Amino acid sequence: MAIRGAKNAMANTWRAWLRAIHRDIGYLAIGFTIIYAVSGIAQNHIGDWGDISYRSTERTITIAAIADAIPDDVAIKQVADAAALGTPTSSLRAGDEIRLGYGDGSQVTAIGTQVTIQSRERRPFIGLANWLHKARGKTAWKYIADGYALLLLYLAFSGIFMIKGRMGFRWRGATVIGIGVAIPVLYVALAGGPGRQTTHEPDEIVATPGSAAAPAAAPAPSGMRALPPDDE
Amino acid sequence: MSEDRRSFLRKAAAGTAFVAVGGVLAKMLGEDFVLTARADGRPRLPPGQHAIEALKPMGGDEGDGTFEAFRLKVHGAVAKPFEVDYKALLQLPQVEKQADVHCVTKWSLLGGVWKGVQISALARLAEVKPEARFVILEGANGYTANVPMKEATADYALVTYRLNGKPFSIDHGAPVRGLIPDLYFWKSAKWLTGIRFVREDQPGYWETRGYHNHGDPWREERYG
Repeated sequence: MAIRGAKNAMANTWRAWLRAIHRDIGYLAIGFTIIYAVSGIAQNHIGDWGDISYRSTERTITIAAIADAIPDDVAIKQVADAAALGTPTSSLRAGDEIRLGYGDGSQVTAIGTQVTIQSRERRPFIGLANWLHKARGKTAWKYIADGYALLLLYLAFSGIFMIKGRMGFRWRGATVIGIGVAIPVLYVALAGGPGRQTTHEPDEIVATPGSAAAPAAAPAPSGMRALPPDDE
Repeated sequence: MSEDRRSFLRKAAAGTAFVAVGGVLAKMLGEDFVLTARADGRPRLPPGQHAIEALKPMGGDEGDGTFEAFRLKVHGAVAKPFEVDYKALLQLPQVEKQADVHCVTKWSLLGGVWKGVQISALARLAEVKPEARFVILEGANGYTANVPMKEATADYALVTYRLNGKPFSIDHGAPVRGLIPDLYFWKSAKWLTGIRFVREDQPGYWETRGYHNHGDPWREERYG
């Protein structure tokens, strides 16, 4: 009797710890969960809604044709005046286009008589949430996000054992867990699942440019510079 | 009153039928257009795809997006690696090609006119070594996409900065993106930063995350 009592006390103690940690991790996870859930929905529907991280604007205006003979600085000023965004921070004239850049990230491109003005600003919450969701290029955040994933695993597994009795794992819990596992399994079964990964070998090497006749040596453009060879 | 109601319902039904028949006809005519075969005999619209009117932004980890910051490295298994800025890119031999693109999420944009520099021209300038068999398109923030030499050096495989006479917006990869029309569109890396020639295949960002290593739309090579 005494042993059983001690076992019950121990079980209650570890369950109490499990619940206490579950509760605090739940609090800790709220901010992350909102970020990942909201941005996850935005990512799922990017094909339907576009990228809602930004409020983008694009407009096109028509200007008189700028003759090739017009000096670059005059041509650039004509486009800047037409765009009416103030003084550009950078500009270039190359090929058949004139490009202007502005401090707020706006870009103006004149091609023939068409001037395209592109601007956008990041939406305050969803813009940052989407930015955080994509861990690529963010070394520290990648590990923070890994930590959040581990916390979710703890919440999932500790949740199984938090309550005993009819509402615990053995009865209600097992049924609901079964439903949760069955949904993705059924989906994969019905959708066919991913095919077998294959490594494609090119049918033939159509182009071996190194062995092809190189074009006649033209003077290199001013913005082109040679690089040291890679390891390849 | 009852006659009015009946008359209204009759007209409403006729109108609905007219719109429905018109829609079906328009779709059939559209399908006729898009089902025209390509030069290689394959249909314009690969299986499982539907045509849309404009590129859809599909996300990704954006680059700077401005022409000022743009640099493109052409490197790897080449004799003469080099780097160009935006102005220098526009001073290389330019081409304008009509090409269809097919997103793995099942939309296709048909007949777009893309302007840029052929990847094969960059390969010639860099003097690619004969043993190079794959091309890695490098995008901002470490994005990569692997493409066999055959598709990467096809006539209409480009480093492109313009579609239908307009510059790309940043969500479509401004200022310069890749264009590999023979493969699903994720291979056409946005916010392009490099073209790397390699001897061995190196599966890229999506290829290591469940998508097919090759990505041929006509074979529906969507998932790995």
